[in-house]
Amino acid sequence: MNNLKKNKIQIFSILLFLFLWQIISQYLINDPLILPTVSEVIKAFFELSSDIPIDLAVSLLHLSTGLFFALIIGIPIGALMGWYKNADQFFDPIIEMLRPIPPLAWIPFAIIWFGLSDYSAGFIIFIGALFPILTNTYTGFRNIPKRLVEAAKVLGCKKNINLIRHVALPSSFPYILSGIRISIGIGWMCVVAAEMFGLDNYGLGNVGVGNMLWQYYSLHMMDRVALYMLILGVMGLSMDRLLKYAEANLLKWKKGTNIRQI
Amino acid sequence: MGKNRVYKYIAAIIILIIGLSGCTSQQQAEEAKLNTITIGVQPSTHQIAEMVAMDKGWWHEIFSKYGITKTEDRLFPSGPPEMHAMLGGELDIAYVGAAPAISAISKGLDAKIIAAVQISGSALVLKPELADSYKGPNDLIGKKIATFPPGSIQDSVLKHWLKQNNIDPDKDLRIVAMGPGDAITAIEAGQIDGVFLPAPSPSKIELDKKGKMVELSGTMWPDHACCVIVVSGKLIREYPEMVKEILDIHIRATNYIYSDTDDAKKICAKKIKLSEEVIDYSLKHWDGAWITDPKEIVNSVLSFAKVQYDLGYIEKMPKQEDLFDMSFYNQIQ
Repeated sequence: MNNLKKNKIQIFSILLFLFLWQIISQYLINDPLILPTVSEVIKAFFELSSDIPIDLAVSLLHLSTGLFFALIIGIPIGALMGWYKNADQFFDPIIEMLRPIPPLAWIPFAIIWFGLSDYSAGFIIFIGALFPILTNTYTGFRNIPKRLVEAAKVLGCKKNINLIRHVALPSSFPYILSGIRISIGIGWMCVVAAEMFGLDNYGLGNVGVGNMLWQYYSLHMMDRVALYMLILGVMGLSMDRLLKYAEANLLKWKKGTNIRQI
Repeated sequence: MGKNRVYKYIAAIIILIIGLSGCTSQQQAEEAKLNTITIGVQPSTHQIAEMVAMDKGWWHEIFSKYGITKTEDRLFPSGPPEMHAMLGGELDIAYVGAAPAISAISKGLDAKIIAAVQISGSALVLKPELADSYKGPNDLIGKKIATFPPGSIQDSVLKHWLKQNNIDPDKDLRIVAMGPGDAITAIEAGQIDGVFLPAPSPSKIELDKKGKMVELSGTMWPDHACCVIVVSGKLIREYPEMVKEILDIHIRATNYIYSDTDDAKKICAKKIKLSEEVIDYSLKHWDGAWITDPKEIVNSVLSFAKVQYDLGYIEKMPKQEDLFDMSFYNQIQ
């Protein structure tokens, strides 16, 4: 399928979605509280166009903080668990015990530990983003083809650190990237919860995509709530596409191994 | 996949969506027989009347006469989410602050205020070290104060008072939106400088020695309206006799609070899961009063509407008749 045709289908799907939304909200529901129309949401966008960039910037900073710590903690632990059996046995019960706890359940401790600082939001996002990165890195390391390790050893790469650096990490990279993509999606979900309580917002006051979504919910301004929900969706989609693009470029050596690309 | 097949799928989706929308239409929901009455209430001494009537079985006594098989109340942390639930059709009656009722009615909530519940009754609490040196509102500049979300009584009173004292609530200090539980946790953990909350939360903080009351809301905005009873338009139109009886019960419960305060305190403590000591302390140190006559709060409620209009929370100024239905109270006088 060529790119032009693919793009046409995607644009058509979005336009159809917006069209159905407008028809249903305008003619069937006809109550902006239950479902605002697309045109009302667009109007809200223009009304808030000067606020949205700041809201986005603050939420992106919260997301980056959480993702950064999820990466620097999740990848090494996942790698250790995947490479060393003892590390797997050591970390596995702890990880499996913590993994099912929803990020929202950590909010009371986040407030006590980090106060109403921006690190609280970062922490909630970190909790949501950590496990997909960790488990994907683990799976990547567990699935390294044995022949690659053996070939590396034959070629003189014998130390564990060298094998991890030159064989395991590149081989697991597709898994790690896929973990990051899942984590970004979960991270955006956590932004809404993390900004629910009054944070410092880097001294910028009452801002943040999640924060404003809750504020407008309190005032029953559903067109603005829908707008901020769409912003979250569009941001999630854009970052996912960006990572897919990076994946396609960074993993050119893997081209042809995935039949869906055909 | 052939083009025709794609179109068929799209048509099927459209028909399904239209069908589903029809099933959930408000019209059908309204036609459903009323067999449950749900009352919204908040964990506050402001709304003891509702708790007394529920505890004594007075609500169910009247509703059962109309074939209602179930009477329940739902606890909300503050007014805005309570009104949002009413907008979603989840509540028939709400004990709620007048301010969230104004913003919900302005957004199309089919309901009216039929009675007053109480006036004043909130307090500004600061951390002990700040409270000791507190002289006036200027001491709040640069501080972080938690209160109920935008559109609540507390948010409106606090912002109005700050503005009257030439303090910009958006720039000169940080006002953060929280429910009572979060706000108490935050000040007791030392994460914020103060809270502005309805009773009994200020007393809980003071008894825990984590803060001191420095301003009572009745001094910030003399005799300001606070909680009211909001009844759905459906009940008003289709069950006017029931609404009159709701009002009777509310007056009876309010009188009971004054005649047997000790029992009312016990009922409240049990309902909101705080010790009787906190409730007792709260009622000794608050500036609120339980009332029933909506005429006493009309001007104050309209002033709240003006504040909300000025803050941009509502698009047009509501009139008295948009917010109130005085007919029931006038009938029982």
